[in-house]
Amino acid sequence: MAAPSRHGVATLTMARAPQKQIFDKPAGYYIGLAVRYALLISIGIILITPFILAAIGSFKTDAEIIAWPPKFFPDKWLTENWVKVWTTDLGEGGTFPRWLFNTAFLAVTTALLKVVGCSMAAYAFSRLHFPGRDAVFNFMLGSMMIPGAVTLIPAYVLMTKLRLINTFWSLILPGVVDAGAIFMLTQFFKTIPRDLEEAAHIDGASQFQIYKDVVLPLSRPALLTVFILQFQAMWNDFLKPLLYLDAPRMWVLNVALSVFKQQYKAQWNLTLVGAMFNAIPVLVLFFFFSKYYIEGVAYAGVKG
Amino acid sequence: MQAQKTASPGNVALAAAGTFVLVFAVIMVAALMNAPIRLGPQVTASLGSYMAEVRKTAIPFVVIVGVGAAALGGGTAITVQRVWSHPRRRRAMLAGYAFLTPYLLTTLVFTIGVILFALYISFYKYDIFTEPRWIGLNNYVRAFKQKTFLQALHNVFWYAAIVTPTQTALAIALAMLLNAPMRFKQFFRTIFYAPSVTSSVVITLIFMWLYLKTGYINLLFDNVLGVVGIDWKAINWLGDPRGLIQIIAGAFGVNIPSKLWYLRGPSIALMAIMFQNIFTTAPTFMVMFLAALQDINPALYEAASIDGATGWEQFWQITLPLLRPIILLVIVLSTIGTLQIFDQVYLATSGGPLGTTQTPVYQVFTEAIGTQGTIQMGYGSALAFILAVIIFVFTFLQRRFIERGTELY
Repeated sequence: MAAPSRHGVATLTMARAPQKQIFDKPAGYYIGLAVRYALLISIGIILITPFILAAIGSFKTDAEIIAWPPKFFPDKWLTENWVKVWTTDLGEGGTFPRWLFNTAFLAVTTALLKVVGCSMAAYAFSRLHFPGRDAVFNFMLGSMMIPGAVTLIPAYVLMTKLRLINTFWSLILPGVVDAGAIFMLTQFFKTIPRDLEEAAHIDGASQFQIYKDVVLPLSRPALLTVFILQFQAMWNDFLKPLLYLDAPRMWVLNVALSVFKQQYKAQWNLTLVGAMFNAIPVLVLFFFFSKYYIEGVAYAGVKG
Repeated sequence: MQAQKTASPGNVALAAAGTFVLVFAVIMVAALMNAPIRLGPQVTASLGSYMAEVRKTAIPFVVIVGVGAAALGGGTAITVQRVWSHPRRRRAMLAGYAFLTPYLLTTLVFTIGVILFALYISFYKYDIFTEPRWIGLNNYVRAFKQKTFLQALHNVFWYAAIVTPTQTALAIALAMLLNAPMRFKQFFRTIFYAPSVTSSVVITLIFMWLYLKTGYINLLFDNVLGVVGIDWKAINWLGDPRGLIQIIAGAFGVNIPSKLWYLRGPSIALMAIMFQNIFTTAPTFMVMFLAALQDINPALYEAASIDGATGWEQFWQITLPLLRPIILLVIVLSTIGTLQIFDQVYLATSGGPLGTTQTPVYQVFTEAIGTQGTIQMGYGSALAFILAVIIFVFTFLQRRFIERGTELY
């Protein structure tokens, strides 16, 4: 995040270096290189094998999916599995497109709200001087260490009392801020030079205008990182949606999948289709924006 | 913001009173929403019933809320007094808290409010429908008397003890592998990280299928062991309660009876979940280590190799010590995560076989929705607090032992 281009440039020049001076190093160097690439490729294959097997499995018949010994490719590629899952209807409005919509809606909404709420707090922490700021900031850092298990029951009771069970509000309201994202943005805002803001300040801009028109436009990569990481976090969340959204109409994909498992029992091919439907959107998003994902995770580690 | 007002003692008193009322109101609302309500959710039906509930249910909170709000209001009055006469500083303060409003409101209700409530009901017998009944420390005592919770703690201790070091070591190894100058670095990094972006539900379902008696994991063992001529008997991985120590002891002819379950070690089912967890979490931590490795000054390695240090020595003498802050962070995060394992257990085993994959968070969940008979919010909260204390102790000890010698933190 700090300098996304820096690593890229470094890699490029380093990668080109051996090309210019071909075979001028001791043999051990090339053996080491071959071993390294062999390792990288085999680890890469091991890591994606479960997904490949599952993707192929989603086209198998009911018998093939649990046959012994398992065969790598199905005899006939069954696209009916995918249609069957897409047209699933468990009654009470519990249909597959609806679950997909619920998941996407919640992920986009909470991610957008977090970008707004977290950047506001980060602006106050990084740019404004006022009494109590450091106390609140330190409290926030401390609150990151609170295990989620402690808030599980009382938050559920609170949602019940507020009659927010089976509404999207139960997941949206607590999701306005995230301590980790605020911390990341605070650190990022501190790296933005203040010259522009001072100029805006002299021109009579209010703090809100400086936040909206100067700091936010300069932080697009950081805001995109927060959006993507929070989108993924909500998309992949399971325990809270499982507690708060129990009507079939309101399920998210993860909750629906956990029901699929009971619904389809031995029909693993159908469950795998559901898993694919869930995994493909985040994987596509990841491959397009992998730089932001990885910079975000790395940033959390290095600066956290 | 009312920046144009002139400073006067009246303004200060007003600000303090305003803060007091605001804080009191917010905490009161949080307390009310959290407080047990006999008639259930209908409290918001009309203003009258709402006020009646405030009176009836918020009484246990009045003292705490009053003291808290008075302290906050007093503190605010002092700061306001200091700041109010300087228009510039006054504006900054008002702007600062305006920007913090979403964070403060959310935290006050969904973090501080709910945790206070959880602490409160952990001393009560409370099923969400009827009035809570004070039972003192009974919930906590009961937790340590019941085999299910003790076994759950035993399971997650094994879980954390095996998963945390393994995935940290693997993550460092992967990061070292990727850190060398090479082509396709970005490509490999993306591929390695891919398992970490999909949801644990998807990964668990895929692995449940791979772990079937007729699944690919058994096929792998069958083929690999077949090469050396050993006949592999297919295992139902997620349904096998045999413990690691039990199997090893069994090989020497020692049988560990089921009464001594705590000596049997992690079961095959639990170890299957461990493997899957390491598989998906190691790449996340790899990315953190990779970023830290790129920040190490290359001059250090050059100096070391001039002095004749081998690559292995450089790793132990330079890389590892410099990675120490990240190692600490990864171990703390990993411990917090593994002690709270839930998704995999809920989907794959529901705590079985023979309770060998029971975990504390899974029990908190089952108490909350009442799969164990009646809903027991108080008991569930007590379990959560015990787990939280254990997590705090662990992370504190880890800080003490790993942080020594690192000034970066």
